[in-house]
Amino acid sequence: MLDALRFEWTRLLTLRSTYWLIGMGLLVTTGVAVLLGVAGRNDPISTEVLWIALNGAAGFGLPFLAVFMAIIGIFACGHEYRHGTIQPTLTSLPQRNRLILAKLAVVLTTTLAVTIVQMAINLGVVYVVWGEAPGLFEDPLGTALIGYVLYVLLYVLVGFGLGLLFRGVPSALVVIFLMPLIIENMIFGLSNIPQLDWLVPVVKFLPFTDGARLMELAAPDFGPGAPDFDLFSRWASGGVFALFAALILSAAWILFKKRDA
Amino acid sequence: MITAKGLYKRYRKTVAVDHLSFDVRPGVVTGFLGPNGSGKSTTMRLMLGLDHGEGETLFDGKRFGTIRRPINEVGALLEAKPFHPTRSARNHLRMLAAGNRIPDRRVDEVMEFVGLGDVKRKKPKGYSLGMAQRLGLAQALLGDPRILLLDEPTNGLDPHGIHWMRDVLKTLAAEGRTIFVSSHLLSEMQLMADELVVIGRGTMIFNGDVDTFVREFTQSQVVVRGPDTAGFTAALEAEGGEVKAEDGALVVSGLEIGKVGHLAFTTGVELHELSTRRASLEEAFMSATGASEEFVAKEPVRAGGPAAPEGEAL
Repeated sequence: MLDALRFEWTRLLTLRSTYWLIGMGLLVTTGVAVLLGVAGRNDPISTEVLWIALNGAAGFGLPFLAVFMAIIGIFACGHEYRHGTIQPTLTSLPQRNRLILAKLAVVLTTTLAVTIVQMAINLGVVYVVWGEAPGLFEDPLGTALIGYVLYVLLYVLVGFGLGLLFRGVPSALVVIFLMPLIIENMIFGLSNIPQLDWLVPVVKFLPFTDGARLMELAAPDFGPGAPDFDLFSRWASGGVFALFAALILSAAWILFKKRDA
Repeated sequence: MITAKGLYKRYRKTVAVDHLSFDVRPGVVTGFLGPNGSGKSTTMRLMLGLDHGEGETLFDGKRFGTIRRPINEVGALLEAKPFHPTRSARNHLRMLAAGNRIPDRRVDEVMEFVGLGDVKRKKPKGYSLGMAQRLGLAQALLGDPRILLLDEPTNGLDPHGIHWMRDVLKTLAAEGRTIFVSSHLLSEMQLMADELVVIGRGTMIFNGDVDTFVREFTQSQVVVRGPDTAGFTAALEAEGGEVKAEDGALVVSGLEIGKVGHLAFTTGVELHELSTRRASLEEAFMSATGASEEFVAKEPVRAGGPAAPEGEAL
């Protein structure tokens, strides 16, 4: 297993895209914190502002870091097929389970490290601007930040699974962007139409929407007149997203073992 | 030593590899021949576990998937350009080396050996096909393996490169390594290979040494030259030989050289030359695999053909 980890670590570090994707993710999320600081530097920092500053706008539906890291996850296997390197990879490491485990370990560890670094940078920006971060380790902010880390990890896991499932990059990218941005938003929007109220029970099972609830500061309020979606709790919603990631990864893994390289 | 037993692969209704069994001995270069689509690449991929099918291949007694750090025991080159376009050639090899506990020093060694030392930090997307093949060979040699499997390694190489590749493979074989190499360049294979595995439509046509293959699939001819051989034709034909005149000599098919010599002696014909003309590997290959061609092109039309430009022979 150590050999496979060494291989995968070298693979990740020798790709230029690894650096620019992480760089872009950090730059954009830091930019959000800086923007908030510039706009609100004369007011005391609220929990909501601190929350958005630390998760780089992921809290209101723009999970920049998760998206950039998910692309790294897609590349982990997608690049192997796109550029034909799966052949030298498997003649170097023919034990397919070990290879996938190593890829997962390296991608998830990198994601965890980058997410923590991103939050630390943004916290630094908050301290520079406001000189304090009230309620950082208290509920609900502390829990929401743990949820943010889990959300990024699960998002990357979905990307990884899609790259392996589709054995390429473009299809995986399309699904990971199309599903949360268009399909889930469309189902949610349509469920508000009385004639389509049969979609209401579906909403609480939308995986990316559920995943985003992991990092929420407060339960969502859809306003008066909105259907009762009977949403799961934060952790149960996270469980739906985790189950979705697990299903994609399992299907991809089984097919990877069965298919010709 | 490579031992392949009962290799079988089916794609829906098409059988690509049909129960192939053969041995590849160490110390010699074994050529792997077959027409396009005959299943050569699929066979190699089956041997390395890249494709799933039936049968078993043992590399010095071990299945490929059970070998720890396989690059150190089996080197493979299967595709022409299996490299990430933005990762440098050196880093590509460093990545493979990292998974097999091979030091970076060895990476630089093989890059120098294949003649890519000066461009090792460049990205393979800028490499010519010949350079990519050299990098592929460097990849195969990275772990200094006892066994090499190379699929069309001379593709894209210039004549110097082909000559170099031939010398490298023969030298490696002379060191006692097992070399299994496919190629479409039959003239090259004739110079390089000692033994052959020849397949057609996924089935075994021949497994043995090159001389036996040529002998088995072609008819050798005897060349007879002398001051007055005109009258000798009838005697040769009477013994069952097929005779044709060629550049002042008689070319005899269907009779052994000893028989022709004896006939000349008994009929009192003076000879200046009595020799055997061996068929080429290409002729033997065409004879052996003619019925196994997967994709058959039309014969070119010499005159009045629709595709031939005016005044230009095809």
